Amino acid sequence: MAALEAENARLQAEIDRLGRTLTDVSERIVCGRLTGELPDNFLEQFSQLPDRPLEHVLRFLPALQVAQMRHVSRRFNHIIRKCSKSMPKKESKGSVVFKSCNAGKLTVAWIDDRAIQVAEKKLTGDEVALSELLRFFCISGCIYFGEGLSAADKVLDQLSKAWLTIRPEVVVFAGDFSQTSRDSLRAFLVKVEPSIRRLNFQYTRNIDDALLSDDVIGAAGRLDGLMIMPMCLGSKLHNFNIGDRTLLAMADADHISSYGSVAGCSGVTPSGIRAFVEKWIKKERPKPGRQFSCCRKIQQLYELSFYNCANVTPAAVEEACGDLLKKGTMMAVTRASSVSEPGERNGQQGSFTVLCPSSNRYLHIRFHIAPNPAHIVFEPRPVNFAKDKFVFNDYVNNHEDLDPEMEDDDIDDYDGYDAIDYDNDEDN
Amino acid sequence: MIQLCSNDDPPVSFTVPRKAVELSKTIKTMLEDLEGFDMEQTPIPLPNVDAPTLELIVKWVEQHQDDPPPVEKPRVEDDDSDDSDADDDQEPEVVIPEWDKKFLPTDDEQKNQLFKLLNAANYLEIKPLLDIGCKYVADKISGQTVEWVRDYLNMENDYTPEEEAKLKEEIAWAEGL
Repeated sequence: MAALEAENARLQAEIDRLGRTLTDVSERIVCGRLTGELPDNFLEQFSQLPDRPLEHVLRFLPALQVAQMRHVSRRFNHIIRKCSKSMPKKESKGSVVFKSCNAGKLTVAWIDDRAIQVAEKKLTGDEVALSELLRFFCISGCIYFGEGLSAADKVLDQLSKAWLTIRPEVVVFAGDFSQTSRDSLRAFLVKVEPSIRRLNFQYTRNIDDALLSDDVIGAAGRLDGLMIMPMCLGSKLHNFNIGDRTLLAMADADHISSYGSVAGCSGVTPSGIRAFVEKWIKKERPKPGRQFSCCRKIQQLYELSFYNCANVTPAAVEEACGDLLKKGTMMAVTRASSVSEPGERNGQQGSFTVLCPSSNRYLHIRFHIAPNPAHIVFEPRPVNFAKDKFVFNDYVNNHEDLDPEMEDDDIDDYDGYDAIDYDNDEDN
Repeated sequence: MIQLCSNDDPPVSFTVPRKAVELSKTIKTMLEDLEGFDMEQTPIPLPNVDAPTLELIVKWVEQHQDDPPPVEKPRVEDDDSDDSDADDDQEPEVVIPEWDKKFLPTDDEQKNQLFKLLNAANYLEIKPLLDIGCKYVADKISGQTVEWVRDYLNMENDYTPEEEAKLKEEIAWAEGL
């Protein structure tokens, strides 16, 4: 106890002393006793300016020059890196494609919205930090994780770094997921949540059932398009823990063309589908906005596709939703799909169409894999330029995805607006 | 009227209208903290500002004392650990007014004067003056090579050749963008 009291007295004395010092310092400043004690030459050099004016100067420079200015000196480099979040950024519309063809070799390609490749960079191993390269760019448009381990944790983690600006509208995973963990994937989706509208897992390989769940998909926020279509090898069917929660969240989509294509999601139930249809019917028709300017007619089409989802069969859905489908404002058409249609499994076939004439909206529910699934995003590829001469190659035939003019009849024929022409969203 | 003193020996003092001097947030805050004292009689020493620079500052604040106050925006601290990335707002476009163009010490031999002015504007928190000064320097640097910038800013290249090569490789690929 005595020791405590002694300690208390000591601390009190310390506080008093500090208090006096503080008053003293303030007085000196106020009463003008603090005069210039700086060396004569102190301000002769710009380099001795405090960081703030330096940062300020850098913020007025074009984004690319800021990147170059890192060369000037260590201090510049330090300031630029420290403030990269608020430094000017070059916005990259169009697409960024990550690919890793050989083990460990990651390629990053930037393709602008006119399908011209602006840059390509091979990254070897961990030598060059990806995030270093991306400091000065704001990625918008599409992020495409192509073949190989392009979406491995080490890539996703770097993209999730706080100071990077990534605002993609479309994210496509089309590679190998064997080195991707749930945490990294979720963190990445949280990172892109403010901007992402469409999320596709298309023909992804080695995707673990535990990787995807309602929670992980939910991290991406409100989506207008979701595709979960892993590569199925042999007879192994997926069983993701994705169910009605994800489905119901999708009912809010108000894009002119929305879709939910899921495979192997056993959590989806007929009653969940009913809840979705009820919610969808009540919804207002999407507000005509800038996104409709390029369309022939204003009509929303929503496509739901279920492949190999254990609890979803046409019969069960009809039973659950039958009364909804017969109500006056809607028309329900049940079609048997042709026997020759590939991808037919577990006796699942046929489709429902729900029409809301009052708001000019269609809901299409399918139970089979279409031969050419709509909403697949093809890997963005550049048009080849030979110096300044334009080379006509097979672009028109094979890369419809890059040309909004070409895609109406090729992919979706309902409104000229499909999963790929994200560029139009931004331009109009 | 408020008196400001430079850091020279002996100090040079300037008498400035209170309204003008309050363009400096540093001095404004100080005057507010000292409400009740007769500040008209107490010269305020500015330890970071010499007489020629102070003269420029005084000239600038007197010219701009009737400007509408700039819109206040909270300053965002940049930090890698900060995970909020909602601040996409770009720096607003800064235009250097005609009077200021003539006012800024823009001759090459006055370069150090310009930097001193920036430093004083930073220290005194005169945001609009800092803006136009930095904008001027940025315009000057804009489009110039690294070597030119180093020379203009009197900066030493303190990289080792290896570091420089590595950095060059990191940046090179982005140059086409």
